[in-house]
Amino acid sequence: MFVGLTVLLVEDDDVFAAALAEELRRFQHDVTVAEDGRAALAAIDHEQFDAVVLDWMMPRLDGVSMLKRLRDGERTLPVIMLSALGSAAEKVEGLEAGADDYVVKPVAAEELNARLNAVVRGRQWLNASPIASADTLRAGNIVVSPTRFRAWRGDVSIDLANLELKLLAEFVRNAGTVLTRTMLIERVWGYEFEPTTNLVDVYIRRLRQKLTAAGGEDPILTIRGVGYMLRE
Amino acid sequence: MTRLRSLRGLTLVFIAAFMAATLGTGLISYNETSRTIARLVDSRLATTADAMAPVGTAYETGELLRRMKALDDDRDTGDLGIVLTDAAGHRLGGNVALLRRLPLGFSMLRRHDRIKGLSQGRAYVRGVGDGRLLTVIGETEPVDNYAAARIRIYVTGFGTIVFVVLIGMLLFARVVSARITAIRETAGAIIAGDMGHRVPVHGDRGVFDAQAATFNLMLDRIADLMRGMSNISSDIAHDLRTPLARLRIQLQTLARQAETSAMREGIARAVAQSDELLAMFAAVLRIAEVEAGDRRAGFGSLEIDTLAREVAAMMLPVAEDSGRTIVFTPSPVVTIRGDRQLLTQLLVNLIENGLRHTPAGSRISIAVSRLDDVARLTVSDDGQGIAPEQRAVALRRFGRLDASRRALTPDHKTVGHGLGLGLALVDAIVRLHDGSLHLEDAAPGLSVVVKLPTPSRQQPGPSIALAR
Repeated sequence: MFVGLTVLLVEDDDVFAAALAEELRRFQHDVTVAEDGRAALAAIDHEQFDAVVLDWMMPRLDGVSMLKRLRDGERTLPVIMLSALGSAAEKVEGLEAGADDYVVKPVAAEELNARLNAVVRGRQWLNASPIASADTLRAGNIVVSPTRFRAWRGDVSIDLANLELKLLAEFVRNAGTVLTRTMLIERVWGYEFEPTTNLVDVYIRRLRQKLTAAGGEDPILTIRGVGYMLRE
Repeated sequence: MTRLRSLRGLTLVFIAAFMAATLGTGLISYNETSRTIARLVDSRLATTADAMAPVGTAYETGELLRRMKALDDDRDTGDLGIVLTDAAGHRLGGNVALLRRLPLGFSMLRRHDRIKGLSQGRAYVRGVGDGRLLTVIGETEPVDNYAAARIRIYVTGFGTIVFVVLIGMLLFARVVSARITAIRETAGAIIAGDMGHRVPVHGDRGVFDAQAATFNLMLDRIADLMRGMSNISSDIAHDLRTPLARLRIQLQTLARQAETSAMREGIARAVAQSDELLAMFAAVLRIAEVEAGDRRAGFGSLEIDTLAREVAAMMLPVAEDSGRTIVFTPSPVVTIRGDRQLLTQLLVNLIENGLRHTPAGSRISIAVSRLDDVARLTVSDDGQGIAPEQRAVALRRFGRLDASRRALTPDHKTVGHGLGLGLALVDAIVRLHDGSLHLEDAAPGLSVVVKLPTPSRQQPGPSIALAR
């Protein structure tokens, strides 16, 4: 897991910003707070950040406008929008402005930490292999071929249903990073809403059974109160 | 009266009235002319009779015959027939023969009177003393030939007028209809979610342009209101979520600093309560998002039976894990127009609802069918159902049911749904699709029936949506 990211938190509510910064520091991140979009742009000019957590509605320069300027200036650093605005259209607007992820307030610090790690990791993975082979994904002794709808653990082929295969592919792609239930619902199920049943847990349980049917230790770790992680 | 209000009805009534008036004018004019001609002939017959035997004179028969002949030579009366008969009806002289006794005064002559060279004419009979009768006959045939020509003139003349007026009416109807169609299409586009659509204005400063401009102004106003509403939604979201987010994170920080486990538990409960508040709030905002109608713009064609089967299969492991089962009844393809995300949420919601409110061992049945142009999606369970008088409550926002129908499975989160927002959201999604939601008795259990229009029925759709 990644620790110690340098994070720029752009948030005009100083009480919330201070508390959230404090929470993120518990995960060993180095957090700088900027109170609006202009201050954030200035900070990014002077300092190197691993990621930005960006509020939308702020005085002077709002989050989406700031993000557009950032992207127009060819700044590619990962940005997570953290906003009180949560409609599907607003999420699309945020993502189209160039955000890597969009989270609706409030968010548990654990969830935000997981998403920070995921966006930073995703960026590094992209940089490391610009023409990544989409055909096979590998993590430890687990291999997934999303195009051929096949998965193996070691030499053993694992028979997976479509959703289980997508779930495993997502884990393999993010091996070593925690994926929260909400992240899995968004990425694997592709839902813009959250089911109220324990859907993710049920599917993880089934996936675990199939992965360990031929022996071997459980490759999926449960991170209590946060989500799941595939061992690297 | 209702027919008169439609453009077509009005056009037809106008054409009928116009035709009747034209025909009536033609007939009256024809009759009037005929009568005038008959009067002219009659007066000539009377003048001739008077010239031969002036009133008050009593000529001898010989004298009368001589005057008859003189008149014949003297004037151009070759087209007139003159007969003198005695009191017994015997012919005393004249240039024609009569088959029957004609009445005194004026009368009509027809072809069956067999007067040589006469098919239609007038006769004038007058007594000339001693019971003798003088009969003068004039033909109206040359005049009748003229009548045929007159009819021809009427037919071509009035026919041309009728034709021109008909073409004019059709063009007029088409122009009016095109302008009205433009307005209807604009309204349809607006209802379908394209708020930028406007009625074209031609710049001719006519009444239609004025109406189009007024209509467009109204649309601008509606767009403003919609923007205002969505701003209010955003503002509420911001103004309520921001302090709640602050509250939540402060509680979390506090929980870590708490010295006793009792305090930690108390704070954890407070966090859970704020989460429930936020989830309920998110559900309300989601309903508002659906009700705003903007998502109609993203509607696409989709097979509701396939979607239902996929969601049923996806939810099956969840059902099985809680000791319940889901049965999907295969159906033929039923295509509708809709929003895949929202319809997926609808299905997930209904299935979760079924799982949540039934005891272990229950069965959730899902079926899709099509009757005429209505797609029917049914999600039913074999649980306790909802009493008829409670069904309206179940659909109401924040409507709470009796304890019996509330969460039977404490292991599932009841966020948002325990407060009766689940079905309200389903209802909003159904209404966005111009459909209807019904709660029925599955005997035993609850049957939730969603009726959605299929594309063929959606074509005149906007009016259906407006009818609400």
